[in-house]
Amino acid sequence: MATPDPKREPKPLLELAGISMSFGGLVVIDELDLVVNEHEIVSVIGPNGAGKTTLFNLITGIYSPDTGDIRLDGESLVGLPPHKITRRGAARTFQTLRLFLNMTVIENVMASQYGQTKVGIARAMLRTPGMRREEREIRGRAEEKLSFFGERLMGYRWDQPAYSLSYANRRRLEIARAMATEPRILLLDEPAAGMNPTETHEITELIGKLRDEAGHTILVIEHDMHVVEGISDRVVALDHGVKIAEGIFEAVATNPRVVEAYLGASATVTK
Amino acid sequence: MHPLLFSIIDNIRSLGWGGAFQLLRNGLVLGSLYALIALGYTMIYGILKLLNFAHGDVYMVGAFLGYGILTRLNGPLNLAIGIVPAIALMFAVAMAGSGVLGVAIERFAYRPLRNAPRIAPLITAIGVSFFLENSVQLLTNGFQYTYDPFELGKTGNEELGPLYHTVFSVAGNPVTAVQLFVVGTAVFLMVALVLLVSRTKFGKSMRATAYDREAASMMGIDTDRVIALTFFIASMLAGAAGVMFGLYLGVTYYFMGFLAGLKAFTAAVIGGIGSIPGAMLGGLIIGLVESFAIGYVGGQWSDIVIFGLFILFMLFRPRGLLGSRAIQKV
Amino acid sequence: MSDQSNTPAPEPPDAEAQTRIGVDSWVAESDDRQARKRGFFGPAARGWDASPDPVKLFLFIAVAGTIPFWMSEGDLFVYGLFTVLYATLGLGLNVVVGFAGLLDLGYVAYFGIGAYGYALVSSEHYGIHWPTLASLPAVMVFTGLVGLLLGLTSRRLVGDYFAIVTLFFLQAFLVFTNTANPDIAGVGLTGGSSGIGNLDPLKFFGYSLTSVKQQYYFFLIVLCLATAGLYFANRSRTGRAWRALREDPLAAEVMSIPVNRLKRLAIVMGAALAGLCGAIFAAIQTAVTSSNFTLNVLIVIFAVVILGGMGSIAGPILGAIVINVSLQFLQPQNDHPDIKRWLFYGAIILFIALMKPWYRAVVVLAGTVAFGFAVHAIVSATAAASWTSGTVADAGSASVAKVTAHWVVIPNQALHGSFATYAYIGLVVLVCVVRSVTGWWRTLALVPTLYMTAVVWENVLAPNPAVTAEILFGVLLIVIMTARPQGLIGTARVEIV
Repeated sequence: MATPDPKREPKPLLELAGISMSFGGLVVIDELDLVVNEHEIVSVIGPNGAGKTTLFNLITGIYSPDTGDIRLDGESLVGLPPHKITRRGAARTFQTLRLFLNMTVIENVMASQYGQTKVGIARAMLRTPGMRREEREIRGRAEEKLSFFGERLMGYRWDQPAYSLSYANRRRLEIARAMATEPRILLLDEPAAGMNPTETHEITELIGKLRDEAGHTILVIEHDMHVVEGISDRVVALDHGVKIAEGIFEAVATNPRVVEAYLGASATVTK
Repeated sequence: MHPLLFSIIDNIRSLGWGGAFQLLRNGLVLGSLYALIALGYTMIYGILKLLNFAHGDVYMVGAFLGYGILTRLNGPLNLAIGIVPAIALMFAVAMAGSGVLGVAIERFAYRPLRNAPRIAPLITAIGVSFFLENSVQLLTNGFQYTYDPFELGKTGNEELGPLYHTVFSVAGNPVTAVQLFVVGTAVFLMVALVLLVSRTKFGKSMRATAYDREAASMMGIDTDRVIALTFFIASMLAGAAGVMFGLYLGVTYYFMGFLAGLKAFTAAVIGGIGSIPGAMLGGLIIGLVESFAIGYVGGQWSDIVIFGLFILFMLFRPRGLLGSRAIQKV
Repeated sequence: MSDQSNTPAPEPPDAEAQTRIGVDSWVAESDDRQARKRGFFGPAARGWDASPDPVKLFLFIAVAGTIPFWMSEGDLFVYGLFTVLYATLGLGLNVVVGFAGLLDLGYVAYFGIGAYGYALVSSEHYGIHWPTLASLPAVMVFTGLVGLLLGLTSRRLVGDYFAIVTLFFLQAFLVFTNTANPDIAGVGLTGGSSGIGNLDPLKFFGYSLTSVKQQYYFFLIVLCLATAGLYFANRSRTGRAWRALREDPLAAEVMSIPVNRLKRLAIVMGAALAGLCGAIFAAIQTAVTSSNFTLNVLIVIFAVVILGGMGSIAGPILGAIVINVSLQFLQPQNDHPDIKRWLFYGAIILFIALMKPWYRAVVVLAGTVAFGFAVHAIVSATAAASWTSGTVADAGSASVAKVTAHWVVIPNQALHGSFATYAYIGLVVLVCVVRSVTGWWRTLALVPTLYMTAVVWENVLAPNPAVTAEILFGVLLIVIMTARPQGLIGTARVEIV
């Protein structure tokens, strides 16, 4: 296994051991092992239907695996409801954007801080000083997360409903919303999908910043090989729920099994 | 609860095997009616994921349409035409009328809300149900309309009479013609429905639309038409059930749709919502439970017993007996 | 693969590499543009929107607080007290329906359980007389628990299942209180169909609230406290979480929001508030019977919430005022029978007046009036006299009715039954026709439809005001959900597929 950063002792943060999952008779994930070390950016690639999004759904608890264990920092996540998993420190974005469209931009980021805040309904109804203090903190954190995206989500946009945002900004807001849960590992599901080259470039830089400045460990699903090449410490290729290759980008991208998975068997012959 | 338990045991003892058979028989008749209504619920739920609260009231309107035809034919005691054409006409008009009503409800109340949040068509459905129930109350002045089955049951009344005073014997126990008729008609309609859904092109497009409306419409299926037809068929079944209820119990009233609808929906859920055999099975179960609850526990407890059964299902098997486990799409 | 490289890449739809002049400010002002209210009520609506929320509450209190000074006891009871009751019930239902997005059809059962609960601990039924300060909280806790149990039964808390479980629960509750009435300690628990009577009045520190005025003020305080509490709750992290789970439950769950727990919290809060209302209601009526908690009451509360606007705080209050006042005008025993006609014809004229463009309104109004006289003339000239010789309801005291009798066809008693049925069905068909045509055809179709509405009103609806009210609630739910799902003062949602 390649270690991306030789200065740092690799400490596993997210560990998947022997995960299997099937719908009816269809095996979507088959005996998958995967380790993401702290402060690492790992990309998951693979053709459509390889089980990438299912992998995310398993980690975040939307599905529970038939067999195997998922551990975050040594503690098992299997069987926990999604909101508790997020509270433990694994947050995600959705490939098909799922923002709270009729809430404002800043409310989206404030809402996702539910897990780390405490004030209950009784104190909220009485509007106690403690409650007001916490509200201020929530808002402050939300502004801080949004300012991470430079000018894109600033100023007047805060109080606009999320549906008024452009597609690229919605993707950014999804990331901001996930960041606001204070995750240790951030799961990004195709963050560059549907973006133009400039925006794609911006996203590539942003993902690096998310690790270097915000300190998140990142597991990302991406189809755009330029993005994958630009960000990944390590790449994992999936096909039909099986890990077919793992390593640095160049090694995985030229791996004959990966090429075969993407282009079909004949492509490997011609190569 | 001790006195209640005692009375249950007492009832079981005093009613004996003959009584038990009667309860079984009544339950089957009632159950086949519930099954017909439940089929409509399950079809509409299957295709639109909508709980059509108004369905019970369509059934009530069907019962009134049947009764209306009977009065146009000079009433059950002086029928202008023979018994077979009279009953056929009642069914035809009630089924057609309910069917059109169902299509109209879909077209004007639900279709504008196809892309609205889930709660919007539900609230509309309550509105439609309330509108129908109270409209009929207004137009019938809130009266109960009876077919006079007691009068009809006397031999000598040869119009609708044979339905009531012809008694067959099944294993030594009495079964009247109307009971056989209700169960027979219900079975016939259900078989016809199953054939329609499984064997015809319409059935195929219905299943496709239920599975994925968008994909179906891309495959060239006119989903609006399929949905309208589904409402037509579902409401037709309810209308037929309404006429059968009227013939069987000899009475129609404006609020009969509420409880019947509630129980039929429970039947659909117990059987597994969206499943056609499930609705039939659920209907029978509810009918039998209600009949035995009335016989053994007491009429005032029957609704509560069914509610308890419903809660048990919600707790331990929310997908119902024959329902499939839903996979959450992300 | 190869042919794709030749074609130029299509312009991406969201290109925003450089700032586009004017676009950002246009977007920034979009809210203002949407909020610019026009037309008849524009200035009033703008003023209302501009005033800060506490000011609105104080305005409401100022107006509501002076009502007892100029209203008679009887009027205060039906117009004042019932409006406050419906508003408080609406607020509670709004927590469940509006905040959490759950269809709770058993809501009236909590109201009833609260009333029966109060009756059991404050009457000679079992000889228990708890002080009000103990019984009200106890009732709230108990109804909250009932709500919690119901919430626990539908494990997935998906709208439809919960709706049917709660609806069935209401039915079971009604059967239980009305006919099952099990014997406990030798006495029927709920008193059967006659209910429980002779309840203690509300009593605080030795003061009994016995006059309508006292009860009204007490209930008004409860309403204001509930409003303020829910207003603050809505603007807290819990309120945000409710809105989030209503938008997208799965995304909310993944964003660390415990969706099911919050849904249950909403159910419990709604149930507790309904229970409190029930207890106060029982104390005011000094009796409870199960006929107070039927489906009809449920529809009234739903109409209150939906008309006012799901999810808004002021909505249920506004909805309650409109609904209850109209409801009381429609009561058969109302001593101003003319007022319901004013209301009806006023509503029709308002409907016409709101049509755009204005000349269409003129065409419809003139057309309807002319059409009516023409039909009346033709019918009285060609058909037998029996077709126009009928009398309107409350003809003695109603002056508007005497005028309309020359315009609307009212057959006499012998013909009335079947004419009413056909006219009613005809009206429903006409309304469907109006809905399915557009443009000038719709304008044209409106003329006979409006006339038919008046015919049905005079022949069928006005003589049966109680049932008419129920029908109108049904129609109201359908029309609002189709035409204006946000209600009177809610904000419109945007659905993006």
